[in-house]
Amino acid sequence: MPNDPLVVIPAFNEQDCIGEVVREVTAAGHDCLVVDDGSTDHTLAVARATGVPVLALPINLGVGGALRAGFRYAVDHGYSIVVQVDADGQHVASHVDELIAALADDGAHLDMVVGSRFSGGSDYDISRVRRWCIRLLSWVIARSGHVALTDPTSGFRAIRSPLLDAFAADFPHHYLGDTFEAILVSARRGYRIGEVPVVMRPRQGGRPSADVMALGQAMARACTILLTGTTFDLPSRAPVDDPPASADRS
Amino acid sequence: MAAGGALIMTVVLRLARRRLLSTRYAIGWLAVGAMVALAAGIMPFVGRIGKLANMSPTAVLLAMSSVLLLVISVQLSISVSQLQERLRTTAEAHALLARRLDEVERRAE
Repeated sequence: MPNDPLVVIPAFNEQDCIGEVVREVTAAGHDCLVVDDGSTDHTLAVARATGVPVLALPINLGVGGALRAGFRYAVDHGYSIVVQVDADGQHVASHVDELIAALADDGAHLDMVVGSRFSGGSDYDISRVRRWCIRLLSWVIARSGHVALTDPTSGFRAIRSPLLDAFAADFPHHYLGDTFEAILVSARRGYRIGEVPVVMRPRQGGRPSADVMALGQAMARACTILLTGTTFDLPSRAPVDDPPASADRS
Repeated sequence: MAAGGALIMTVVLRLARRRLLSTRYAIGWLAVGAMVALAAGIMPFVGRIGKLANMSPTAVLLAMSSVLLLVISVQLSISVSQLQERLRTTAEAHALLARRLDEVERRAE
């Protein structure tokens, strides 16, 4: 078990999709955990019926809260790799192996691998405004975190210890904190982040994660993080012996 | 003024006794009541400050009370933030424990 990854699926009111997502992940042979984020529909019952472990949060904490609970479960149960998959069916389970393979690449020493819709391969349809918002966030991360990522708001990621243990201890829970802020701060603390091109299905329902308001919020957060250093607790990465692979650092 | 201060203090004491207000905040609000009552006593002094700053005594009192209210709101925001974080941690711990209990019960059957 310790060498297997745990696929964590945070779910909030996803009764129509969650069953199929879990089946897809378990069919691919991965351990799976659903974190029900205080859903008010039948998400919890549907998730329990699939037979995989389910964490039921008594109140809605947001994606970041659900994720931290999932990270804690993973650390408690001896997993050293977590793959985060959305419950809305956007993420294709067959890509999970590619994310893990990128983590396992000894040359790169990556701590986090982000599945990107935009780095080649996929022609994901997205409005021009959202596209520019995401580009701007990428630019901030490239400038201050020195990592080139094309899709920093992607919720499809693999995370490995020791970053996983740090996230289990503290993880931002506000809007876009779980994606943009987590990546920005991890990069600035010296963790190595790479990306893998993935194809995402169009979202079945729910709301897109990046719009202009969210962008404003994210930029405000970026300013406070960069100017005052106030963010969640994340210890700096211990240095690795080998030099980092140049392909993943810009 | 003095009567107003006394009224605030009475209301706060009542709330505290009925456990609607925890001691921590009761002390703060009692201090507010005491200061209002005290302000009545130092009105001549307030007038003098006002002359120095070229403000009417009423403006001085208003300025003082806004600063006080600001301090109280910031303090309350800090408390709420702490409570949010604690609530979040507790909710997570609750979910993890519920899951373990589930597992233990299933094994016991």
